[in-house]
Amino acid sequence: MTNTPYPTRPLTVLLAALGGEGGGVLADWLVAAAQAQDLPVQSTSIPGVAQRTGATTYYIEIYPVPTAQLGGRRPIMALTPSPSNIDVMAASELVEAGRAMQNGYISERTTLVASTHRIYATVEKMQMGDGRYDAQRILDAAPQLAGKAVLFDMAAATQETGTVISAVMFGAIIGAGTLPLTREVCEEVIKSSGKGVAGSLRGFAAGFAAAGGMLPEAKPKTVAAPGALPQPGDFPAAARDIVAEGIKRLADYQDQAYVDLYLKRLANIARLDTGDGKLAAETARYLALWMSFEDLIRVADLKTRKSRFARVREEVLAKEDEPIHIIEFLKPGLDEISGMLPPGLSRRFHAWATKNGLADKLSVGMHVKTNSVFGFALLRLTAGTRFWRRRTARYAEEQGLIERWLGAVEKAAARDLKLAYEIALTARLVKGYSDTNKRGKASFNRIFDHLVEGELSLSDSERAKAIFTAREAALADPEGRGLEKTLGQHGVKPLPPREQAIRFIKPPAAKRV
Amino acid sequence: MERSFKKEVELLNLGKGDTFHGEGILAVTKALLQSGVSYVGGYQGAPISHLIDVLTDAREIMDELGVHFEANASEAGAAAMLGASINYPVRGAVTWKSTVGTNVASDALANLASSGVTGGAVIIIGEDYGEGSSIMQERSHAFAMKSQIWLLDPRPNLPCIVNMVEKAFELSEASSTPVFVELRIRACHVHGSFEAKDNVAAKISRNALMTEPVFDYGRIVLPPSSYNQEKAKIELRWPQAVEFIKREKLNEVFEGEFSDIGIVLQGGMYNAVIRALQQVGLADAFGESRVPLYVMNVTYPMIPEELNAFCATRRAVLVVEEGQPNFIEEALHAILRRADIQTKLYGKDVLPMAGEYTGEIMLGGVTKFIEAVAPKGVDTARLHEQFEALTGVKKRAAELLGAPVPNRPPGFCVGCPERPVFSAMKLLEREAGAYHVSADIGCHLFSSLPPFNIGNTVLGYGLGLASNSAIGPLFAKRSVTVMGDGGFWHNGLSSGVSNAVFNDDDGILVIMKNGYTSATGTQEIPSSPHQSQAHRVTDMGIERTLTGMGVKWMKTVNNYHVTDTFNVLKEAMTSKYNGLKVIIAEGECQLERQRRIKPINAEKLKRGERVVRTRYGVDEDTCTGDHSCIRLSGCPSLTIKDSSDPLRVDPVAHVNNGCVGCGLCGEVAHAAVLCPSFFRAEIVQNANWWDKFVEKFRAAIIGLMQPA
Repeated sequence: MTNTPYPTRPLTVLLAALGGEGGGVLADWLVAAAQAQDLPVQSTSIPGVAQRTGATTYYIEIYPVPTAQLGGRRPIMALTPSPSNIDVMAASELVEAGRAMQNGYISERTTLVASTHRIYATVEKMQMGDGRYDAQRILDAAPQLAGKAVLFDMAAATQETGTVISAVMFGAIIGAGTLPLTREVCEEVIKSSGKGVAGSLRGFAAGFAAAGGMLPEAKPKTVAAPGALPQPGDFPAAARDIVAEGIKRLADYQDQAYVDLYLKRLANIARLDTGDGKLAAETARYLALWMSFEDLIRVADLKTRKSRFARVREEVLAKEDEPIHIIEFLKPGLDEISGMLPPGLSRRFHAWATKNGLADKLSVGMHVKTNSVFGFALLRLTAGTRFWRRRTARYAEEQGLIERWLGAVEKAAARDLKLAYEIALTARLVKGYSDTNKRGKASFNRIFDHLVEGELSLSDSERAKAIFTAREAALADPEGRGLEKTLGQHGVKPLPPREQAIRFIKPPAAKRV
Repeated sequence: MERSFKKEVELLNLGKGDTFHGEGILAVTKALLQSGVSYVGGYQGAPISHLIDVLTDAREIMDELGVHFEANASEAGAAAMLGASINYPVRGAVTWKSTVGTNVASDALANLASSGVTGGAVIIIGEDYGEGSSIMQERSHAFAMKSQIWLLDPRPNLPCIVNMVEKAFELSEASSTPVFVELRIRACHVHGSFEAKDNVAAKISRNALMTEPVFDYGRIVLPPSSYNQEKAKIELRWPQAVEFIKREKLNEVFEGEFSDIGIVLQGGMYNAVIRALQQVGLADAFGESRVPLYVMNVTYPMIPEELNAFCATRRAVLVVEEGQPNFIEEALHAILRRADIQTKLYGKDVLPMAGEYTGEIMLGGVTKFIEAVAPKGVDTARLHEQFEALTGVKKRAAELLGAPVPNRPPGFCVGCPERPVFSAMKLLEREAGAYHVSADIGCHLFSSLPPFNIGNTVLGYGLGLASNSAIGPLFAKRSVTVMGDGGFWHNGLSSGVSNAVFNDDDGILVIMKNGYTSATGTQEIPSSPHQSQAHRVTDMGIERTLTGMGVKWMKTVNNYHVTDTFNVLKEAMTSKYNGLKVIIAEGECQLERQRRIKPINAEKLKRGERVVRTRYGVDEDTCTGDHSCIRLSGCPSLTIKDSSDPLRVDPVAHVNNGCVGCGLCGEVAHAAVLCPSFFRAEIVQNANWWDKFVEKFRAAIIGLMQPA
């Protein structure tokens, strides 16, 4: 090894992106920019499959001395990144930055350039409750691990500048100033790439500015000011906002008498909540949600509001002069239809329809065009049957369950607030429509039958813990197997597998001649 | 094809005096043309798909040089194509993904290696190691040894790779033996440069045809020729190869200051070894190392004289050999033992037996070796501290993060036509209970990941139906096989369908007809809807093929119609028909579709013509945040966001702007009777007067009835 005045190693850049985000294009841009400055450069990647979703990385090494000054020598560049050996780590999404941390690629020498927005992984999205990774952990770790951290919402910058995220990343990487590549050269590279040049340059500029700390402050999210709502002072402080919201919701859902019922039901629990008010707050939340259960009337009402039309236009990015058609996917089934009848009639109708094999036939998929006169009128008429709601079977069913739930919460609250709180949260399981709703209620009933009201000899704190575990299991595995497993730990016999509706024909093995 | 290579094709035209800047696998392609090949073939797969793709786009150059290019039906077909070099002095090269492709090709390779070759026969294999690989635990090395095919593993920089490809042809001819050139995945994708040479037109080519066939019974694999071939392998071809490798100095020695130790390494590991040495201060940026190196650009056969010479004067040597078993290390032990050389060997004791040798792994191995042998002047205690400091950051990150970040494996694209079929299968499972699914190789294997978790076994490309042949008869319920159209033409037609029909299989075969071998970069297959120039005349429909083979029960469904697909699956499950039931699930690969229609729509918009853009959405008012739609879809575009409703704590479903309007989410909401939250929005761009009139009329009437 000779003593040379040259740097002992190249600068290294690791790009983390999701398939299809243009990580390859970004790598090519960096390579071209280095080449334009006569710097030795190498890039590699592992795009094995054509699919557009998984996490992937691109790795680039740039030697910071022009080839002309190397006297025929060529630096040796690695094909895989090494821990503590990354100068620039750029991630197009926050969890990908977290992944780089986890792999040891973010150290003191690293300039971390990452977007703060999230693209959720399937495992985060598919939970019945909230399965999202706590992104704050990554945001907190970033400045502690990296020498320099440039974090901003690149997705927002991308949308504002009407380009692709790779252009914003490119700008931010260069703007961070760690690489010996100049802005002029990089912009030249974009120009000569020939595709979507104007947008890419705008994105580059936005990223460059953000890395230099010049990004305009993000617009604060518009949240309705809580002060504007009525303040029901009888409730613990922690519950007031939620109660106010509940009152608003139920007045919108039914009428003042329904609101009064809500407040009356809640008052009993609130009186018993001698603690921090969390029990009252969560009961208020789930009671309001449950009492405003989504039946045909409610859905039709929500679908036909002016505010909803405006939101759809905004969401699908329709321009002002572009007419849009909104087509709903509605499929009310036997349960929904019989649910609109009075309880006695409903039961008889349901039994008759099931017996005559009409259960499937009554469930007809409809595509309703809400912006057509007919479609709109149909939905408005349905919404107009609100006056009938209190007589429906669905109403009776929900109110019955609500009373059972509230009764248990109240009973427990007199003894143990923690237990009451856990029971209150079981209401989180009841949501969704048709089968999802049925499965949720089945889980709710299983927990109530055995853990809340059952004969098990458990102390209050053990019971609270068991309910918590069972609820989490039911949320994580909506098919119910997880729940049965946790119930099994308390000696509850698991439900037998559901009977199967289709008969499979499997002829005996054909005899060979 | 996933990518157009029109621009890269120009690189193949470079000549003497030009500098090639580009990807590794394209440099290999250029090296083939510089070597005067008469024919090239192969089967696509990561990481060598681009070699096939660029040649598909390079018709003109190939015609000019008279090179015959063929995208073969399978790796076995590609290997068999090398048979042209047995009797005739023509150079040929084929390529595939190893080791999976080498497995498929083994039959032909064994015969080729036995017969021996007259013209240079080279096989470019993309070694499938580590990240993004399927069978990472097997080595091409074993195939090289078993069939006696020489194995080159060049240093991963473009000049070296190109040189080794050219030398491979010479080595093949000098020893009458086919030669593997192995490139790891990152080497295939490495971007670098080399000084180009002129392309060479072969003496025998499509432009200069042969007239006389050669008959030589000695080339036929039958006794007594086969005995002679076995003998020739050992007594003639092997020594000839060793002689050539020594003479041409294919392996390289880099001397260094610590002359009593050294590292013996596979060529492909060179850059990683240098980087590890750099990190502990034992090498500079240009690869000048204080530890001497013996770089095996040829890993099979090994050259005992060279190894003895390198090891004899050293007290300790580290063998850096990626993959297991450690053939090289074991062989080196034997070589040194025979020569009675007492050098201590390190290898898999300081490096892991299995797995890819990434930067971190290599750093650990090299550090342990240096610590153990303690070369003069190296402070090993400091070295250890340095290593701990470098790798400690991982531990610190884990502590700070508290919980590992969620995995994000590749999955179906937005709008993928295969996803709805699995939604339907999931629904059938809900109704009928679980049933065995024999999966196959292809994008559709992503069904085994969440949220579907469908697919019980996978045995090989196009082998899904064959792998089900003992499962069907042993189950009380019918089982389902999923196969892609790529797999169907690769192997599924013969091993699967013909065998199933012949043996009265009672199973259900779902063929995903998306039109291309999508997982490898959407290459064309015989039933592709849009054929390039080369295959324009073909008309090889899957349906007609199956009818011809005697398949009696066959239904075609539109994948996106989940209810229909569900019904057909149910029908197949319950049908009284005893025999193979084939469901052809049709839906063009969305990547290809978008690639085709995007520019057309952009052009229309530019001209001011009416274009209706479709996308889907979720009403957050009615979404209760139970995410059952996601559990039946997994579409990347169907995601979640915070609910703007202050009462709801769970996130609500949300369709983002990546939506291509395939309609699956709405269909699933219908088929599974999920919820009324989904809507389709049709946005009329460049609306005409009628659109505007209707819009105004409706708004006026609706406005009368509409609440805020």
